[in-house]
Amino acid sequence: MKKFISLLLTLAMALTLGACSSDDADAGNNEYGCDVLNVYNWGVYIGEDVINNFQDEFNVKVNYSLFESNEAMYTKILGGSHYDVLVPSDYMIERMIEEDLLQPIDKNIVTNLDNLYDGVLNKPYDPDNTYSVPYFWGNVGIVYDKTIVSEDDVVSQEWEVLRNEKYKGQIYMYDSERDSFMVALKALGYSMNTENEDEINEAYEWLVELDQKMEPAYATDEAIDGLIFGEKAMGVMYSGDAAYILSENENMAFYAPEKSGTNYWNDAMVIPSNADCPGLANEFINFVLEYDQSYDNAATVGYASSNAEVLADMTAAGGDFEGNDAYIPREQNDKDEVFRNNEPVREMISELWIKVKNS
Amino acid sequence: MKSFRRMVYPYIIWAGIFIVIPMLMIVFYAFSKEGNAVMTVSFTLDNFIRFFSDSIFVNVLLRSLKLAIITTIICIVIGYPCAYFMAQLKPNSQTLMVLLVTFPMWINMLVRTYAWRGLLIESGLSPELKVYIGMIYNFLPFMILQVYTSLSKMDRDLITAAHDLGCDNKKAFLKVTLPLSVPGIISGITLVFLPAVSSFFIPRLLGGGSYVLVGNLVENYFVTTGDWNFGSAISLIMTVVILISMYFTRKFDYSKEDR
Repeated sequence: MKKFISLLLTLAMALTLGACSSDDADAGNNEYGCDVLNVYNWGVYIGEDVINNFQDEFNVKVNYSLFESNEAMYTKILGGSHYDVLVPSDYMIERMIEEDLLQPIDKNIVTNLDNLYDGVLNKPYDPDNTYSVPYFWGNVGIVYDKTIVSEDDVVSQEWEVLRNEKYKGQIYMYDSERDSFMVALKALGYSMNTENEDEINEAYEWLVELDQKMEPAYATDEAIDGLIFGEKAMGVMYSGDAAYILSENENMAFYAPEKSGTNYWNDAMVIPSNADCPGLANEFINFVLEYDQSYDNAATVGYASSNAEVLADMTAAGGDFEGNDAYIPREQNDKDEVFRNNEPVREMISELWIKVKNS
Repeated sequence: MKSFRRMVYPYIIWAGIFIVIPMLMIVFYAFSKEGNAVMTVSFTLDNFIRFFSDSIFVNVLLRSLKLAIITTIICIVIGYPCAYFMAQLKPNSQTLMVLLVTFPMWINMLVRTYAWRGLLIESGLSPELKVYIGMIYNFLPFMILQVYTSLSKMDRDLITAAHDLGCDNKKAFLKVTLPLSVPGIISGITLVFLPAVSSFFIPRLLGGGSYVLVGNLVENYFVTTGDWNFGSAISLIMTVVILISMYFTRKFDYSKEDR
C-alpha cells in the first residue's frame, strides 16, 4: 500500500511539474514577451480575419476558445483557467468587478477608445469603463412573421402578445431564466432588476400561465433557424440575432416593446486579474477597436458594433444592414434597463425557471 | 502469473485520480453547504431534503427513469430480433452486418443528434417523441451488439439436441436460446440504461428545452446556477438510483443461472 501511495504522489508531482513547464513559454517576438494570447468569447462572435490579422501583426499565436453562457464562462474562470481576454455581458462584468476577478484596462495601450460610440459608454455595470471596453450591444425584442402575426397585436399588446392564445404553439421563449423573467417583469410593469419577492413570484405565475396556455418551445440559438424557416411565427430574440433573421427572411419583423421597455445590454472585453499576458491583452482590445477589425466583426456577426463609424456605415445606404429595423437598438427609452448583478435574485429565478419549464 | 497482477496498477491509479477522487468530492459537496473552503465547511442534509421535498425535482427524476426504462425496453424489442437474425447468417455476412451496425458510431454522437434535430425540426412530433427517437437511435447498436455476441457464441448443437428431445422451434427458443442469451441482454441493458438515465444533450437538443431530465438539472445547477452543492446532491441521488437498478438487474441474471 505504501508503494502505491508513493507512486500516486510521484505521478501527481509529475503532473504538476509538467503543467508548470508548459507555462514557462519561450519568450515571444513581441515586446510583451508572450507568444500566446488566450481569448475566450461567445460562439460566432468575431470577424473571419480578426484573429489572423492580430497574429500576423503581433507575431503571436491566439488560442481562441468559445463559451455558450456567461455562467459557464464564470465557472471556468473560478475553476482556475487562465485567459487574457474575455467578452462577458454587463451583469457578469459587474459581478466579476465586485469579486475582484478583473484588472483595469491600460488606457496607455488602448488608445482607440475614441472610436467607441457614445451610447455604449459609462453604463452602470462599470460606470467609467475602468475594466471593460464595449464590444457589441443591443436589446431584446419580439421577432414575428408579418404574414401570420398581426403587427397591431404585437405593437398594442407588447410582451403580452406572447400569451395571446391566437398564437398558441407558435412561439419561442428564450431558454434562459434571466431573459424570460425580464420579459415577464417588463410585461407586468416592474423593473427587471427588482428585488421584491412578490413581484418575482408574480412574474413566475405569468411565465407558468404562458407555459400552460401557449405550449411554447424553449430555445436559444436554435430559434434563429426555426424562425428563418418558419417553424414558429414568433419569438423572443436578441436584436443582433433578429437583424440576421430579418435579413434572411423578409416576412419577419422586429419589435422591441416601447411602453413596457426591454433589456438594453452590452457585451464588453475585459481582462481577468489572473491573465498571463495583460499587456498583449490590452493590445488585442485596442486592435479590435480599429475600424477594419470592428467592421469585420460587425459584418460577420450581425450585432450592433461599438465602433461609431462602423455603426454608421452599416446602416447607411448600401451598408450591410440598410433599412433593417433590428440592427441599431433604440436608445433614450426610460423603460429600458441594463441588467444588474444580484446573487440572491439570480439563484431564486434560476430555480423558479426550472419549475416554469416543468409546470 | 503473479507478476502480471502488477499490470493492473496503472488502471488503479487512473481510476483513483479520475473516478474515486471526483466521486469523493461529489459526496463531500453533496453533504456540505456552500463555501467550499475546508475551514468553514459545515455538513448538512439540506440538499437532499430540498430535493425530496419538492415534487418538481422528484418528477424530473421519475421522468428520467421512465425515459431510460422505455428506451431500454424498446431497444430490446427491436435489437433482439435483429441480433438473432444476424447470428443465423453465414460468417461473412455476419461480419458485414456487424460493420453496418457499428457504422453510425464512426460519427460522433453529438453530430448525429444534431442531424436528427435537422430531420425532425419540421416533423411536428411532440418533443417527448423526438427525444425517444433520438435516444433509441443512439443506444440501439449497443443492445444489438451485446445480444449478438452472446447468441453467436452459442453452440448450435444445443438447438438440434432440443429438437431431438421433442421441442418445436418455439419451445427450443424459449428453453435454450433465450436463457443462453440472457447475459447478453443484461450487459445490453447496462450499456443502454446507464447512459440513457443520465443523458442530457439528447433531450436538450431534441426536446426543445422543455423536456428537463436529471442530467439537465445537474448541468443547470453546476453551470448556470453555480450551486455545486445541490448539483452534487442530485448526481449522488442519481448514482444511488443507478446502483439500485443495477443490483436488481444483476440479481435477475444470477437467478437465471442458478436454475
